[in-house]
Amino acid sequence: MLSAFFIFNVKGEVLISRIYRPDIKRSVADIFRIQVVSSTDVRSPITTLGSMSFFHVRHENIYLVGVTKINANAALVFEFLYKVAGLGRSYFGKFDEDAVKSNFTLIYELLDEICDFGFPQNTEAETLKLYITTEGVRSERNMAEEGARIAIQATGAVAWRRPDIKYRKNEAFLDVVESVNLLMSAKGTILRADVSGQVLMRAYLSGMPECKFGLNDKVLLEKEGKLGSATSTVPGGGRKSAGAVELDDCQFHQCVKLGNYERDRTINFIPPDGECELMKYRTTENINLPFRVQAVVKEISKNRMEFKVSVRSNFTSKNFAQNVVLKIPVPTNTSGVKCAVTAGKAKYVGSENSIIWKISRFQGQQDYMLSAEAELTSTTAKKVWSRPPISMDFQVLMFTASGLMVRFLKIFEKSNYPSVKWVRYMTKPGTYQIRF
Amino acid sequence: MSMRGLTVFIADLRNCRARELEEKRVNKELANIRSKFKDPQLSGRQKKKYVCKLLYMYILGWDVDFGHMEAVNLLSSPKYSEKQIGYLAVTLMISESNELVRLVVNSMRRDLEDHVEIHQCLALQAIANISAREMAEALSTDVMRLLTSGQTKSFVKKKAALCLLRLFRRHPDLIPMKEWSEKLLVGMEDFDLGVTLAITSLVLAVAQSHPEAIAGCVPRAISRMHKIVLEKSYPADYVYYKVPIPWLQVKFLRLLQYYPPPEDSTQRGRLMTIIQTIVKNSQDIPKNVQHNNAQNAILFEAINLAIHVDPQSDVVVQASALLGRFISSKETNIRYLGLETMAHLAGFAESVATVKKHQETIIASLKDKDISVRRRALDLLYSMCDTSNARVIVSELLQYLAVADYAIREEMVLKIAILTEKFATDFKWYVDVILQLVAIAGDNVSDEVWYRVVQIVTNNEDLQEYAARTVLTALKSPTCHETALKVGGYILGEYGHLIANSAGCSPSEQFMALHSKFGMCATPTRALLLSTYLKFLNVFPEIRDQVVAVFKQYRFVLDVELQQRACEYLAIATQSSDELLQVTCEEMPPFPQRESALLSRLHSKTQDTEDKRTWQIGGADANKENLTAAAAAARRQSRRRSALETPQPSSQQQQQQDELLNLSDDVPAQQPQQQHQHPLAHQLHEQQAQDSAQAAKIAYARLVREPNGVLHEDANIQIGLKTEYHGALGRVAVFFGNKSTATISELTTEMVAGDGVRVTLLQPIAASVPPATQLHQMYNVECLAPTELHATLKISFSAQDHQSAGSWGTQQQQQQQRTHSTLELRVPIVPTKFLTPAPLSRNDFVARWTQIGGPPREAQIVAAAGTGLTDLDALRGVVEGLGASVLRDFEDAVVAAAVWNSTAAAGKVGCLMRIEYNVAQRMFRLTLRSTSEQVTAVLADQLREIVETL
Repeated sequence: MLSAFFIFNVKGEVLISRIYRPDIKRSVADIFRIQVVSSTDVRSPITTLGSMSFFHVRHENIYLVGVTKINANAALVFEFLYKVAGLGRSYFGKFDEDAVKSNFTLIYELLDEICDFGFPQNTEAETLKLYITTEGVRSERNMAEEGARIAIQATGAVAWRRPDIKYRKNEAFLDVVESVNLLMSAKGTILRADVSGQVLMRAYLSGMPECKFGLNDKVLLEKEGKLGSATSTVPGGGRKSAGAVELDDCQFHQCVKLGNYERDRTINFIPPDGECELMKYRTTENINLPFRVQAVVKEISKNRMEFKVSVRSNFTSKNFAQNVVLKIPVPTNTSGVKCAVTAGKAKYVGSENSIIWKISRFQGQQDYMLSAEAELTSTTAKKVWSRPPISMDFQVLMFTASGLMVRFLKIFEKSNYPSVKWVRYMTKPGTYQIRF
Repeated sequence: MSMRGLTVFIADLRNCRARELEEKRVNKELANIRSKFKDPQLSGRQKKKYVCKLLYMYILGWDVDFGHMEAVNLLSSPKYSEKQIGYLAVTLMISESNELVRLVVNSMRRDLEDHVEIHQCLALQAIANISAREMAEALSTDVMRLLTSGQTKSFVKKKAALCLLRLFRRHPDLIPMKEWSEKLLVGMEDFDLGVTLAITSLVLAVAQSHPEAIAGCVPRAISRMHKIVLEKSYPADYVYYKVPIPWLQVKFLRLLQYYPPPEDSTQRGRLMTIIQTIVKNSQDIPKNVQHNNAQNAILFEAINLAIHVDPQSDVVVQASALLGRFISSKETNIRYLGLETMAHLAGFAESVATVKKHQETIIASLKDKDISVRRRALDLLYSMCDTSNARVIVSELLQYLAVADYAIREEMVLKIAILTEKFATDFKWYVDVILQLVAIAGDNVSDEVWYRVVQIVTNNEDLQEYAARTVLTALKSPTCHETALKVGGYILGEYGHLIANSAGCSPSEQFMALHSKFGMCATPTRALLLSTYLKFLNVFPEIRDQVVAVFKQYRFVLDVELQQRACEYLAIATQSSDELLQVTCEEMPPFPQRESALLSRLHSKTQDTEDKRTWQIGGADANKENLTAAAAAARRQSRRRSALETPQPSSQQQQQQDELLNLSDDVPAQQPQQQHQHPLAHQLHEQQAQDSAQAAKIAYARLVREPNGVLHEDANIQIGLKTEYHGALGRVAVFFGNKSTATISELTTEMVAGDGVRVTLLQPIAASVPPATQLHQMYNVECLAPTELHATLKISFSAQDHQSAGSWGTQQQQQQQRTHSTLELRVPIVPTKFLTPAPLSRNDFVARWTQIGGPPREAQIVAAAGTGLTDLDALRGVVEGLGASVLRDFEDAVVAAAVWNSTAAAGKVGCLMRIEYNVAQRMFRLTLRSTSEQVTAVLADQLREIVETL
């Protein structure tokens, strides 16, 4: 397992160094700095140098690095690194270089707790927060009682939730956030399209509530025999008649009872208090692309180039997209661009070598156009312009590219209190690229 | 005038924490500059600022593919600050192959001609930095003018000299140093020592490639040295740590080493006084490191010069005492230099004795902690070795070899092998040493070394028995290197029968000693061992079964070479009569005399990377010729040869040594029965082929000028030509003479001509030529066009093989073979053959000359004339011989007129030529004008070839 754990800043300086096993020296940090941080061409998260493997994750402006000398389970190592990042976030709000520098004793304390001789231990923030605190040492009188409570929770069945939570108003929020990836060829054929989504939950519920949660998962619907009769509207008014989504793979928070899911694909869980990522999923079938982009580029002469880009929104006219940004690359020897657009603002940004076209509000079923003329300077090296793809950024509310929707969320508690439930949907792009 | 934009930009980039941020900032700035450069009215100051920014990005490693034109524009700005940035950009961003070079040449010329010195300096620096070919072509004369002009300031002169030096080093063909040498020599006398230093650097470079052109530098160097060292007249500015201008002194001293010592006794006396003074001044070691360095630099160069001038003088004796102190110095650098200079000293027989006094120290230096010092010690030991101390030195080297670095092992092995061979007083010692060498450093022993052992053993009968006995003992030891196995295999195969009757050396024991190692060695060694077994089969019939079993086993081995050998040997062994076996396994004849491959290998390793060495490592005889030879190139060549041929006069074992030295360097024969493939014969063949190729070239060059002569000659056949030309038509008779005692048969000939000429056979030739007779054939020649005007004669015939008969001693002479030869000879049917005289008066000539005009109808060529050309009259004779009429009323050059004839399209073309010849420099300039461009080009080329090969 892990032999050491390091945190580096972007300059390659060691912020945190914790050696778990004696088989490596502290100086391996230098190897990582030289081979990975300072090297421009290494972009793989795993670097094996000699007998050592470095696993790294970049979070904010720091590198979290695990080092091992054996053939460790890479997924486990990365999970651990992400857990550390999550812990940092939940302790300090933002886990970056400054946070590390101002809390380094606490971080060492955490590192001692969550990993023993290289084997990961309990990494649950809720539990850890009980005994690794930012405050000073409490009085001894409380300690015995407190200790008993900590022991029960740390070893109990529901490590992620304290039993004595009380709220006056019981609320639960569900956010479905999808990021859609697209690569489209110049001719308009889709080369790659997939959606990776997550369901985030914020629970402000008293006691130990048991929740049940239903999606329009195709397998589940088929099982329930509802497929034919399901006429529910898919969020965003997509065109799916069947209204079912085929999920390629899902991943759940540890609170979800996987046994039930395996058996009948129902999602039962006791939510942790506050925010958590309940599930992650991925789908590649039947994707609703929120925007269609068409671009025509003409080289009028050696030092003149014409761009015509049109973009169309593909969701219902009731919905709208926010903060739509199109980044249209221009040749590197551009000396000036004249743009005309039907909506929003467009200008040439030299530092990115592209035209940035911003539309703050984009209603559904709309068409907008950009026409631009770039002036080019002559260069000594006759390099052909590689034509990098157009990329897009946006946020579409109440729309899911996969067509996924939450069918129900039920909450059961011993006291049977009433609860309020909210569901929101949002789609944003991962890499949304169109070649031309 | 500060550039705030630039400082802000640099600060921005420096503050970028990640590469991505820097890239963004750079892209932004590039876009900004591109849009600014669109404006044609951009002020010079703005341009300068943006070019600076571009430069900063460029030196950070970002791609900058525009802005070059703006940089070039800045060159012509009148302001110094803008011009300076322009030059900086040009030198950084424009490489010598860039097309923009042509654009900047003109601005540079303007700046060179400018009267502002700082502009001249900028241009000179840029020229030296870029040093593109076009610049050298266009600007070298301007640079030279700056260097020699009286008005030029001395700091410009310094730069001009260094710029010229750089151009000369990069493009030696473009800088006519020979013509400029006089002016350079004048420059050496400049009153400003800085200028002298710069010019002397240039002279030093010229002296290395054209020593004779600039020979006048010797008295100048002596007189200037005299002034500095003895008269002590130098400006105080040039005193460096109490030493007057050490750089210049070192350069002068080194320069003098490229020339033979002055003949004139007063000059020589002055030189010796200078050296004496330098040595005297250096007796005490100054405390200050810089002072010490400067003083030593001069001292070592002075000692080298002293050795060069007269190795027996008192100065050298004094110097060697100093060197003795140096080689035991605590400073590594001093030890290194001391050893190196001592190796130079040891290069002269007369002074070896003085070096020998320090033998102990030198051997101790072999164990120095610094490898470069160890190398120098090895060189020195190699140089100082002679018959009296060879044994001691070789045994020391062998001892050290066992622990030596891998980096110098191979060199050591070579040197030990050469020394042992050269100074062996006793052959047994030689064999012992070599075997020891193989045992200690088997992997580093190159093939040449063991080839050489085999040759020596083969050529010395007394040695054969001892060698066989020794190798057998070596082979019996459990660890035995593959090289030892190769030597053993060969020697036992040849001479194993000499020891077969002694105890422990019986045939089967010999066989077992070899065969026990057979499985562990590489394929070439196995092949050699198979040949050895065949030889055993011939002399030891008693082990026949064992040997045949091995052959049978190897008939099916995968390796083709081994399989073929096994099959062939088995076939020979199983023949009913032993006759063939006996013939094929005859004892090897002694090898013919040949230069040692070891020496040539050693020399091939020493390559010049810096200033040429003025001497060479390798003992007394290596440097002997050095003293008298004047030309540097010839000197190097002869030195190598002299190392081989000059015997040691002091040696008592002269007879033996001669034998040792005159051995061949070739691979010993492994398969005597394959005579036609024998490597030795093959080599001989090659060498002869080379010689005859040279002869053929000379014969061809003569026939181009003259109508009749011999085209080709070898042991069997002589081929001659008789030609007659009338205008565009000609007749060629080819004579075939048989020189051998046997008939030449299967003679076929074919004339292949280019498109420009039609050749028809008039009279064919018989297929065989009886001994000592001559037959001939006739061709008609017709000239059609100036291009593709050439012809080749292809001949094939079969004759008695002289080469193999000559080199194979008495046993093989009865087996003479007939070999089939083919020859491809260039026939001198060339454009100049079709010239007819056109007598013109002086006025007519001048009128027509101007009428034809310049290029492309004019061609001008400057080249070096052949060594056979003595004066203008000789050249006139040659030109007349070609068929042109020479105008006698031009005194200073050869001026001639002729008509070039052809029957087809081109018709008759008038041509006028003028050849100027500089007797002193052996250079000629040929100017040729004719009414046809094609004819001009072709004729000028041909004439150049003729004059060059005179």
